[in-house]
Amino acid sequence: MRSKNNMMHRDGVPEMRHLVNRPCLVYLLLSILLIQAAYGEKSNDDDDEVTFKDFTLNIGDRIDLGDYQMELIEIQSVRDGLVVMRISKIGGSLDEQRALLQDSPNNFDGGAENRGVTITVADIFDEQSAKVRIEYQQGLGTARKRASERPAAALDKPELSVQKSFDKNQMSVGDEVKVTITVKNTGTGQALGIIAEDVPPLPEFSYVAGYPPKIKETLDSGQSDSAVYVMNAVKEGSIRVPAIQVSYTDSKKNAKSNSSVPFNILIGPKSKADLAIKLTSKVPIALDGEGMLNISISNLGTAPATRIEANGGVNPPEGLQVSGLEKSFFEILPEAYENYSAMLSGQKPGNYTIRLRVNYDGGDGSVIRESTAKVVVLEREYKYQYLLLIIPIAIVIAWMYRRYREYKY
Amino acid sequence: MLNVLMLGVGQCGNRILDAINKEAFGGSGASKLAKYYLRPKFPSRVETLAVNTAVNDLKELRFTTAKDRLHVPNLHGVGANRNVGKQAFMDNRDMIMGEIEKRGDFDIAFVITSASGGTGSSFSPLLINELKRQYRDITVITVAVLPFREEGSIYLQNAAFSMRELMEVDAEGIILADNQYMKRFGGDIASAYDKINGMIAQRLLFLIESLDSEMLSVTDLGDFKTVMNGGLRIGTMGFYQADSKNLSIRDAIENSLKPANLLYPANVADDAARAMVIIQGSREHLDMDEITKEVERLSASAGHVFKGIVVKKGRPKVLSVFTVASAPELESIYAQAARGMQDEKEKRTRARKQLNDAFAHIEDLEEIY
Ligand SMILES: Nc1nc2c(ncn2[C@@H]2O[C@H](COP(=O)(O)OP(=O)(O)OP(=O)(O)O)[C@@H](O)[C@H]2O)c(=O)[nH]1
Ligand SMILES: [Mg+2]
Repeated sequence: MRSKNNMMHRDGVPEMRHLVNRPCLVYLLLSILLIQAAYGEKSNDDDDEVTFKDFTLNIGDRIDLGDYQMELIEIQSVRDGLVVMRISKIGGSLDEQRALLQDSPNNFDGGAENRGVTITVADIFDEQSAKVRIEYQQGLGTARKRASERPAAALDKPELSVQKSFDKNQMSVGDEVKVTITVKNTGTGQALGIIAEDVPPLPEFSYVAGYPPKIKETLDSGQSDSAVYVMNAVKEGSIRVPAIQVSYTDSKKNAKSNSSVPFNILIGPKSKADLAIKLTSKVPIALDGEGMLNISISNLGTAPATRIEANGGVNPPEGLQVSGLEKSFFEILPEAYENYSAMLSGQKPGNYTIRLRVNYDGGDGSVIRESTAKVVVLEREYKYQYLLLIIPIAIVIAWMYRRYREYKY
Repeated sequence: MLNVLMLGVGQCGNRILDAINKEAFGGSGASKLAKYYLRPKFPSRVETLAVNTAVNDLKELRFTTAKDRLHVPNLHGVGANRNVGKQAFMDNRDMIMGEIEKRGDFDIAFVITSASGGTGSSFSPLLINELKRQYRDITVITVAVLPFREEGSIYLQNAAFSMRELMEVDAEGIILADNQYMKRFGGDIASAYDKINGMIAQRLLFLIESLDSEMLSVTDLGDFKTVMNGGLRIGTMGFYQADSKNLSIRDAIENSLKPANLLYPANVADDAARAMVIIQGSREHLDMDEITKEVERLSASAGHVFKGIVVKKGRPKVLSVFTVASAPELESIYAQAARGMQDEKEKRTRARKQLNDAFAHIEDLEEIY
């Protein structure tokens, strides 16, 4: 019954037209009675002077005035200036929830002139608070504000964070870089009409694919979306990558925006393969003996070396036989290396130079690298030479000991 | 090649034998360590054997191999007592002779000993007899060392008795060396001994070398025997090596016979019975005329003189060996020994008498308790 009344009041007159039976009569009667009562009071009261008081209310805050209780229920629209308030009276003779338009007075119980109250929304600060003016006759008492005890209701307040990241912050001319745009709703309400605006391609890059990044138009609270596009570094230097901006609105069409943090990246010169050759051979080789030459080809550059071909020779060409010097590899990646060894066999004593030539494609055309190693083939087998020293000493010692024994009495 | 046996008996003999072995390593110039890298080099086949009753004396030797040191066990040594020594030799005769026989056959043996000690002086005459019995054709030469006169009456007495025995045995002769005579080399006793021993060693080896050499003018073992057989069959040796200032061979021969270069005090002109002069040196120093003249001059006083000349690179060296017809020095030893013995005897009887007089006091008395 009460809720029905509320409805009728709030939605206005049209419904009343259909209610021409008893309830309608009761209502009229009651109205008359009330008017009479007010009149009567007014007549015998001195303090019927109208006064007003302004309050800044947060949602849930209430103003008590005599038996009246006025509570700010909701800011329905900041833009449209609509605020919902509930006005009730202890005892239950009034309990009404009404949308109040900013700056237009609303009368309850006939308004301040008739011992009721008149409420005007003076200002709407945001979705949480508004300034309200209460007008009333002084006889009703003093209007007081009661701050809300319940927490402010969960609000429709979307908040988008946006991030732009490169998959590497150091690259070389010619490198591809993947740019990831991530948008996340960290607020409480739905974000609508999301538009991500990335600045036009930098002169240092050419776009390869995926530009402009596409982000969902709507993101619920907690949701995120990302987009990726690929660029190619074309010019070297240190670059400041500008921020990306997202703009969106909340459900009440409040426009908002956010942007990522700009950052620096470095584009190095075009990467190339750089092969280093290391030749090592252990100790001199004995005449008619075997030895080994260890070859290590490592890529110190930043690009893979391809079509690697190693070959070489010995100088002087006679006297030291080398086998297994030739070798080819498809690819040596940056920071990778290949090891192999060549067999040496000494046929003539002397000093030899082994020259290894490595041909490869360093990413920028064909390159040749060379390295040499010195190998000595010894004159003779010196392995037992120390015996020449030890044996005579041993013989001398044995001899002297024998003599000692011979003369020891 | 001569087969030579060198026997050093008793401490003195042992030491002279050691000096001979040292000489074979290069003489006085030989380093103490020579035995570790050199082989002894003897002119002939020389076997050496040191015989002693005292182990410590044998241990003292430096250049004699261990197998050439023969210890004759005798409980307390012989204590300069020749009778004990003789007994010890007889007890061990087979062992000693066996040790010598092991070394094969010999043409000549030198028995080197002091005349005054216990072991050497008592073993040597017996040993010489055994050698003569064992080796039919062997020539045995005794090398006897006379004591310092002040060494005491027992040594003198031993010298007197052992010299008599040595002269009686069937040896070819005695070469004397007299410590007293060589005392003049001075210094402490040990170095005097070393000096004397070295001299004896050098002369003996020189002699052997010469007897075994192809001589220009021949002397051989036979000649040497003839010389040793002369006179009292007691002789001695003189030696001289010319210095670079005076290479005259005549002077060298003369010098070799001067008292200063002899081992025993003898006067060649007065006492010599037979002599042998062995000359060694480079050919240019060996003037035959001079040598002949000098030898003839010698013969006038010393009876027969054999001469041997060995051509060998170096300054002239001369060894002369001679026997004497009279030995005044030896005679004086006998006199001294006899006096000493007489004194000792008298002292003993006097002491005995005094003691007997003392005993007289208790004659007819009984012990009383
Ligand atoms: N020339 C020389 N005479 C020595 C040497 N040693 C000892 N004499 C002398 O030899 C005499 C003593 O004889 P030794 O050979 O020591 O006595 P031994 O034959 O060993 O007899 P005992 O010791 O009594 O058993 C003394 O007159 C010493 O002067 C030496 O090295 N050279
Ligand atoms: Mg002794």
